[in-house]
Amino acid sequence: MDLLDAHLVPAVDGVAFGLLLFVVAAGLSLAFGTAGVLNLSHGMLYAIGAYTGAALSDGTWGGLALGLAAGTAAACAAGAGLSAATAPLARRGHLAQALLTFGLALVGGDLLIQLFGADELPVRVPEALDSSVRLLGHRYPAYRLCFIVMAVLLAAFGTWVLTRTRMGAAVRAAADDPQMLATTGHSPRAVHTGVLAAAGALAGAAGVLGAPIIGPGPGTSENVLMLSLVVVVLGGLRSLWATLAAAVAVGEVQTLGVSLVPDLAPYLLFAAMAAVLVLRSRFAEPAAAHGPEGPPPDPVARLRRHLAARLRRRPGAAVAATAGDSAGSSALLRASSRREGAGYPSISLPFSLPRPRGAARRAAPLLVLLAVLAALPWVLDAYTLSLAGSALALGLLAVSVTVLTGYAGLPTLGQTAPFAVGAYATANLAQAGWTMGPVQIALSALAAALFSALTGPAVIRARGTTVLMITLAVGELTGAVVNRLKSVTGGADGLVGFPATQALWGGEGMFEESELYTFALVVAAVAVAVTLLVLRSPAGKLLTGTRGAEARMRASGHPVGRYLLVAHICAGALAGVGGSLMVTVQQYLSPADVGFEIAAFALLAAVIGGTTSVIGALMGAGLIVVTRDWVAGSWPGHGPLLLGVLFVAAVYLLPRGLAGLRGGSARSGPEPGLPRPGEQHPPAPDPTPAGPAGKVSP
Amino acid sequence: MLELTGLTAGYDGGTALHPLDLSVPAGSVHAVVGHNGAGKTTLVHTVAGLIRPSAGTVRLDGRDVTGLPAHRVARAGIGLVPQGRRVFAGLTVAEHLRLSYRPPRRGGPARPSVWTPARVLELLPRLGERRDNRGTDLSGGEQQMLALARALLGSPRVLLLDEPSEGLAPVLVRQVHELVTTLADEGIAVLLVSPSPARAVECARTLTVLTSGRMTLRIAGEEARTDASALHTALELTPGAA
Repeated sequence: MDLLDAHLVPAVDGVAFGLLLFVVAAGLSLAFGTAGVLNLSHGMLYAIGAYTGAALSDGTWGGLALGLAAGTAAACAAGAGLSAATAPLARRGHLAQALLTFGLALVGGDLLIQLFGADELPVRVPEALDSSVRLLGHRYPAYRLCFIVMAVLLAAFGTWVLTRTRMGAAVRAAADDPQMLATTGHSPRAVHTGVLAAAGALAGAAGVLGAPIIGPGPGTSENVLMLSLVVVVLGGLRSLWATLAAAVAVGEVQTLGVSLVPDLAPYLLFAAMAAVLVLRSRFAEPAAAHGPEGPPPDPVARLRRHLAARLRRRPGAAVAATAGDSAGSSALLRASSRREGAGYPSISLPFSLPRPRGAARRAAPLLVLLAVLAALPWVLDAYTLSLAGSALALGLLAVSVTVLTGYAGLPTLGQTAPFAVGAYATANLAQAGWTMGPVQIALSALAAALFSALTGPAVIRARGTTVLMITLAVGELTGAVVNRLKSVTGGADGLVGFPATQALWGGEGMFEESELYTFALVVAAVAVAVTLLVLRSPAGKLLTGTRGAEARMRASGHPVGRYLLVAHICAGALAGVGGSLMVTVQQYLSPADVGFEIAAFALLAAVIGGTTSVIGALMGAGLIVVTRDWVAGSWPGHGPLLLGVLFVAAVYLLPRGLAGLRGGSARSGPEPGLPRPGEQHPPAPDPTPAGPAGKVSP
Repeated sequence: MLELTGLTAGYDGGTALHPLDLSVPAGSVHAVVGHNGAGKTTLVHTVAGLIRPSAGTVRLDGRDVTGLPAHRVARAGIGLVPQGRRVFAGLTVAEHLRLSYRPPRRGGPARPSVWTPARVLELLPRLGERRDNRGTDLSGGEQQMLALARALLGSPRVLLLDEPSEGLAPVLVRQVHELVTTLADEGIAVLLVSPSPARAVECARTLTVLTSGRMTLRIAGEEARTDASALHTALELTPGAA
């Protein structure tokens, strides 16, 4: 009884926190379950509500009501805007949409900071509620009790709409079969927009009402998104009751857990999520949206065709010249696309040994890249060179993301977790006096591999966008642990002043930028070479087969789960090597180096690179590091904005960049990469159109 | 009256339906028969607006509905009973009826007959007994009834039936075809798609045979009922035609 008495307040707080999470997570789950959009900007919608509410709160009821109306309306409009923004990507599956919302979240977060400042805003609740009441002999804030009531009402109303009204039936029908919903005269598009707008309104209302609980600040979006992702993962989709139970459980862990076992609270969330994911056989992903049939839109290709048509239409003498021109340019484009195609040939030519000439041609871009990189110390100044060194470290991270995303079919936002493990392992080894480079690298890789072996079972059960959700939660939870575990990580201060690494036995510690860079280049080159050899070996083929036709692989007796686990572990080790390199090059380590932004960088690099191209990922990482540094110099503080814009642009303009995920693409020819069931485009209902042999003799 | 002129459709990189002319007068049944992959479902889905045609027009009582999104085609008065029923797994029978019921607009074009949930339950009493069951809890025959009810509740002028007897017991197949005749007698234009001509011949005023996306025979129902040999010849798999 004493125990209950001492922890009553945090326990009730946990309920309030849980209900807040439920209202937010219900919107996320609704949008994912029925509209098929994994909205990674959902936390931003909450932040919009919270900022609006805080800005309009003046301690009166009118202020609260105004804030509630304005915050809900603003977030609702943002939700509807998201629906419009994702609409052109509907045919490209869930992943493209999720990546787009991710970019928009980065942009929106930056804009919110511009509007409201980088500090946490104070929130004033109406005076009548700004007091405390007696609750079983304890004083408890009246606002929180009131919030519990309001959240319950909101949740009950939402549940009633979804399960008892015609509108709710339309929403559930849209989740089951949008085409058939259309044949009953309801527009699935409108339902889709409505769902996203309603999810936005829910998040906005939760933001206004919950601002006194999770206040508006720079970290709000991320925090809310992470917690609601955990709730959705724990609760599964489509069952509001399970979501409610998960939300309250997470709320209790965050409040009661912290007060009972302060050191273990972050691990509790981790453990709960891993346990649920491992126990549940398979995390269902909603069916792909059924749209009118047609090739996926490719804006660049369309523009190119359009221009070519224009040029051809020009009359008279100009025709010859321009036609020659356009033919020349399209030949050039074709040639370049053929060369790019050669960047990932092992998947377009399965089970055939590379001919010597082909191998040389394929290796050429990598060798050129290596030569350019090796020449850098003679060209660049010390600062730029150390930048190039960290670009190499990030490049390895991006390659590990590519391996998981493009080859294993597990798009990941959590690869910073093994990256962090590798980085902190190296920093701690150096502090303990183990300064031998190869030893540091090997042990860091081992630690990261062990870590990935632990998180692997939670990740490899899921497919497609769900992996994005789970890995994001894993990455964020790792970040939370890094901040908490001060004895190992130095907390928010980071680690600095550890002895320099020696490249080889008997050598001196490296301090010169050119030495560090050369060390990084050698390590990165070896790591990339090993990765490429593995990917082109039969093991890589098995992985590609698993991504392309999992059912067939299973049916042929392949232990698919084991392959994916091994891939996850190897990718983790690679990320660990990257983390280790980064510490060696930078000579310091802070939580921001392994944070959310870096995870986004890595995925963006992989997306730009085409997700099945190792060299593309390296180039993408280089491009991002250079742009980020340039922006940091000329326009400080806008890193996330730029990153977000790059993301959005990459998703809209480079659909082929996602080719590896979507499956068959025009460029990579007869790739065996059939899309996974979850990512699949609506199959032709009568999937046997007349083939080329379908000539009729009437 | 449903009129298709030169309707052409296909999927990524291939044409599944070559230019087809076809008309279904109000109150009659037009049967389209053909083997798997002949383009039957493509035809039905193109008319329903689920696939955008690459050429040709679809007219409903003179109004051009070509290329409209599926929900507007449905509102214009074209109902679809799809292959495989495709009832909503998560909705109860009652919710199906409530969701699909669209009373015709005042001043809108005349409907051959107006269907309400009550009237549909009168025609298909079995659905009334299973009001609170979800779509996936129903038997194949019940699902077929539900899919038909879903299409009827829009009070359609044209009804597209895509292999309605697929996977049903023979007694149910007969029931379905009796229903089709009843609905046509109400004044609905019915386009019936079927892989086998056996049942289709009995109720159709006109039959069209599709082979590999092209029409290979058009024959009046009367003629086919007296002498089915032309029909069977057209449906025979000859080398080079498959």
